[in-house]
Amino acid sequence: MDEPQIAEPLIEGPKQSFWRNLSFVWLVPLAALAVTLFIAWQSWAERGQLIEILFENAAGVTADETMIRYRDVNVGVVESVSFSDDLTSVLVRARIERAVAKALPSDAEFWVVRPEVTASGITGLSTVLSGVYIQAAFDPSEIETGATRFTGLDTPPLVLPGMKGTKVTLRTADGGQLTAGAPIYYQGIEVGKIEAPRLLDSGTGVVVDAFITAPHDKRLTTATRFWQTSGFSVNIGPGGLDLSIGSVAGLLRGGISFDTVFSGGQPVTEGLVFDLYESEEEARSSVFKEAIENPVDLTVEFEQSVAGLTVGSPVVYKGVKIGAVSTLGAFIEEGEDGQIVVLRATISIDPSRLGLDPDTPAAQTIAFFADAVTNGLRARLISQSIFSRSLAVELAELPDAEPAALGIFAATAPLLPSVTSNLPDPGATAEGLMKRVNDLPVEELMEQAIATLASIESLAGDENLRAAPDAFVGLMDDARAMIGGPDAQALPGELRQAVAELRGVAEDLRTAEAVTKLVTALEDASEAATSVTDVAGAFDEKIAGVPDLIDGLNQLTEKANSLELEQFLTMATQLLDGADKLIDQESTRKLPESLTGALDEARTALAELREGGAVENTNATLASARSAAEAVEAAVADLPQIAERIDGLVSEAEGVLAGYGQNSRFNRDTLDTLRELRSAAEALSSLARALERNPNSLLFGR
Amino acid sequence: MENAGRPTQIVTARAAGLIGCTHCGRVHPSGTQVCTRCGTHLTPRSVASLQRVWAWWIAGLIVYIPANLYPMLRTASLGKTLESTILGGVIELMHHGDYGVALIVFVASIIIPVAKFIAIAYLALSVSHRVRLSAHRRHILFEVVEFIGRWSMIDVFVVAILSSLVRLDFAATITPGIAAVSFALSVAFTMLAALSFDSRLIWDAGEQEAGKKEKERSIG
Repeated sequence: MDEPQIAEPLIEGPKQSFWRNLSFVWLVPLAALAVTLFIAWQSWAERGQLIEILFENAAGVTADETMIRYRDVNVGVVESVSFSDDLTSVLVRARIERAVAKALPSDAEFWVVRPEVTASGITGLSTVLSGVYIQAAFDPSEIETGATRFTGLDTPPLVLPGMKGTKVTLRTADGGQLTAGAPIYYQGIEVGKIEAPRLLDSGTGVVVDAFITAPHDKRLTTATRFWQTSGFSVNIGPGGLDLSIGSVAGLLRGGISFDTVFSGGQPVTEGLVFDLYESEEEARSSVFKEAIENPVDLTVEFEQSVAGLTVGSPVVYKGVKIGAVSTLGAFIEEGEDGQIVVLRATISIDPSRLGLDPDTPAAQTIAFFADAVTNGLRARLISQSIFSRSLAVELAELPDAEPAALGIFAATAPLLPSVTSNLPDPGATAEGLMKRVNDLPVEELMEQAIATLASIESLAGDENLRAAPDAFVGLMDDARAMIGGPDAQALPGELRQAVAELRGVAEDLRTAEAVTKLVTALEDASEAATSVTDVAGAFDEKIAGVPDLIDGLNQLTEKANSLELEQFLTMATQLLDGADKLIDQESTRKLPESLTGALDEARTALAELREGGAVENTNATLASARSAAEAVEAAVADLPQIAERIDGLVSEAEGVLAGYGQNSRFNRDTLDTLRELRSAAEALSSLARALERNPNSLLFGR
Repeated sequence: MENAGRPTQIVTARAAGLIGCTHCGRVHPSGTQVCTRCGTHLTPRSVASLQRVWAWWIAGLIVYIPANLYPMLRTASLGKTLESTILGGVIELMHHGDYGVALIVFVASIIIPVAKFIAIAYLALSVSHRVRLSAHRRHILFEVVEFIGRWSMIDVFVVAILSSLVRLDFAATITPGIAAVSFALSVAFTMLAALSFDSRLIWDAGEQEAGKKEKERSIG
């Protein structure tokens, strides 16, 4: 332990300075610190100015969520919502951007924007999703006011600060039709709004602030008049029926219109008070008397009643209103016949309305009137409308009027001569109308009407009339049954059949042709001859005509005998056969029996004729004629027709025979025969007529 | 741990005048600048290592403050904008009843970063000051800190994913706040702090103490 040991050398490196030892890594926390501090400073700097807004209520305003907006841009956010110290209002603390806060004037307006549905439309719809926000409106101030405490509005202001326009005040007696926000129209265009009407402190009227937006407010002058346009109005007044209808929006919200009603108004200043009139007419008419800048007064005296004329009644000249009645009164004047009452009206005339210069001196205007009166200008009363009694003063030019002059007095206004006008008296007219109505025989008319109605009623109540429809129905049923019956149904068929038969007869007749007709004629002739012979036999030639006739017949028979009888007879027989055929036919059968009988006898006569000469058989013929007389007697009724037929047939036979051979002897003879036959037929006809007239002569021979 | 009781019997490389490569583990004689095997710069233990640790640590702590004060997420939904900080988000989640999620967020965003700060500070201090925790335990602590560091980025990833996915304009939009950046930086800085820490210092301190004791004993 005593041996000293070599101390171990303590080897140390060079002492490094503290700074040299310092690592560059330390820059990192420094940088981090710097950045963090910068961020902290920045966020502090960006932190907005705290302001306080007092609201009556703050429905929907929530801390950290509700935004403050200015011109629809977020400028801040609500930090807290609490109450004011006295708990009377809600205190909203909000941070708004410093740049905005700097320009915030102390009268900045804040209100809570909520969704709202009004007659004007829907507003604040975006807040349904995003929640309410606080809208700020202010006119940015140049200098920093440092205001941090504001009072919020309950409702959005109608006029935002910074809006360009003119605010005027309207005065009215009744604010019943005014609602806040109601539009103001200028010639139908919405140019502004009114605020909520408020009572005057005195309680004697209502005033309302109206704001006209910028480009339109230059329309406002002192000559502007406002009136209410509340949808529509019906007014029956002195001016008659007045119906005015505004827009539908106006109907819902009410509204106010204005117009410049006369020229020469001065530009308005902010806050000027205007009167609000009930109607456009009132507004326009109210203007007039105020508008006369240089009125000229004239006096008019009326002798007739002026009932209906009032102060303010118009004075018209050729339909144009040139003035108004300013005073009206009755005055007692001393006249020649004692005291008379004169109704005197003072009228104010606007020279400019007459086309004169508005600044024309009164004297000059009066001179103009004096000149006009000399030329026949007169005042007279006219009715303003047919419906009312209200009157107007008309200045009419009546060249035929009695000469008069404008009475110029020192004391009173110049007197304009008047004429009595024929005013229609609505009362009298109505009375006359009523009287005329009264005179109508209304009661008699009514009585008659009642009686007529009663008779109609009794008729209608009659049983028979009631049964009539049933009878008609029965009749109709019967008729229907008859028409529907088999007989009626068969009728057309029968008719058709009859027509066919007739056609058949016609056909047969056609086939028989002329010869048939000739045979018929001959048969007739034979019959006639037989009859005549018979008659002659019966009356022993007492009748002078008959022997002649018999002679004629005999001659005829002789002639016939001398003719080529065989041929004729053959033909005649053929014809008779044809005639038989004809007679066999049903239609022929229906011919009169007597005719058939006559034909039979004619046949027998012909048979006898064939057998021998007619003369030889005269007696037999006469005998048969006697029997035929009866037939004749029966056929007497048919004789005229037979005679006619004979005549017609003879004519036809003549025609036929004419074609048979013009110059043959037979022809000629036949024609002669036929002519004699015709004369015989005529005689027969006259006989028949005689017999017809006196049938007994046939029996008694005379 | 069995040799914990007899540390003096181990001859450390440093005692033997050797220096080990931190990358590949090859041992070189003291004074060698570059690893002959892998070319890594060989650094002896230095106090500068602790300096770096503290520098990153402080930087991490600085940016951790705005990460908690400023909003992490800015959620705009139907016109309403909601900003939420980390702690505010946790409280909100709890209000909604999502305790599990709230716990995850709370642990990942508050507990772990704070624990990391404390652990790194403790380790750094333990180099120069005597601590009760044994060197072995401190080493385990270091390992844990280094491992868990990367998981702290969960929050940042969530914000990044959300803000890139939820872009529905008016309906819903999520944008990252300042805190997201701060938090990411904070995590990065603490990771760098943990990386900067030379874990050999833990053992050096133990060795020095052991050496002193031995010297005292031999002197005594």
